[in-house]
Amino acid sequence: MDYRNHQPETGCADNMGVLPCCAPLANPYVPFQQENAATYQAPMGLVRGTLYPGLDLPFMGMVNQNEQSHTPMHQLQALNFAISELGLYLDTHPTDQEAIDLFNQYVEQYSHAMQQYEQNYGPLNQMSSALSGTYEWTKGPWPWDYDANKEG
Amino acid sequence: MFVYNKKLQFPVKITHTDPRLASIIISQYGGPDGELGASLRYLSQRYSMPYPDLQGLLTDIGTEELGHLEMVGAIVHQLTRKLTDSQIENSNFAPYFVDHSASVYPTAASGFPWSAASMAVKGDPITDLTEDLAAEQKARTTYDNILRLSDDPDVNEVIKFLRQREVVHFQRFGEALQLLRERLNEKNVYAMNPALDM
Repeated sequence: MDYRNHQPETGCADNMGVLPCCAPLANPYVPFQQENAATYQAPMGLVRGTLYPGLDLPFMGMVNQNEQSHTPMHQLQALNFAISELGLYLDTHPTDQEAIDLFNQYVEQYSHAMQQYEQNYGPLNQMSSALSGTYEWTKGPWPWDYDANKEG
Repeated sequence: MFVYNKKLQFPVKITHTDPRLASIIISQYGGPDGELGASLRYLSQRYSMPYPDLQGLLTDIGTEELGHLEMVGAIVHQLTRKLTDSQIENSNFAPYFVDHSASVYPTAASGFPWSAASMAVKGDPITDLTEDLAAEQKARTTYDNILRLSDDPDVNEVIKFLRQREVVHFQRFGEALQLLRERLNEKNVYAMNPALDM
């Protein structure tokens, strides 16, 4: 367990992880991502498909360059993405305080953005349809429709 | 339990109808390395995983895969929007169309309907996590192949996102394997099955 908390003296680059120096034979190893890894901001993380530049490994140089436009839905999607990405990281790095703080920050921003969104555009889940006094849950477009995703 | 959130994980806005591309991308809905198999694999493996943190990781990745299933369904749905008869006749979408019209059905691009035989739940944590590592790589290759076959920027934006998620999941499953190993007999991690013998 210890080796994961001890960075090598020279330090590893952000796209490198740590391995035990002696390891049992006949076992597969994936390097453990180091704590305090660099992160993209949420909107960039969403278009790249990861919050971590060190894990950003595109095929044939094909990368999404442009952030999504700043619609309220895209803002929610970016914040939600940052939360799930940090959540997966914390599942295997539950004591990384910096990541916990960032996770908490994004959750706070998300709850705020979600409240704003629901006030203006309707419920995001069935329970919050109770907020408006009328039942607007089944009002379209649903998320898989083109009209729910086009801008403006 | 699961609660539906009325939003996609990543926006899907496909401007151009393209039944040929739909007939390829359907593989990530119901093909051997698609998102349906991915979600069922991880969500089913949870029951025999003896460690709560690893049960959590399987739950979280399995849940994300359900979101990916919805996104792939949205791509196919939007690629077959406002289909004309001549678009169907002039593409390899016709064999799919005759059985499913312009709906979304879990099948491989090669025509084989989704099969649980394309995934595994072995009930041994090392074996299951090793299966998961391979599964993420197979899904990544499928997305690579889709990128080779598609030049629609609206589609590729989403495919690049989904492909990158496979890379991140591979990393987390690799870390999970290490967290598991640290709890086993370091002289012989194969000395018993922790799902049955601990």
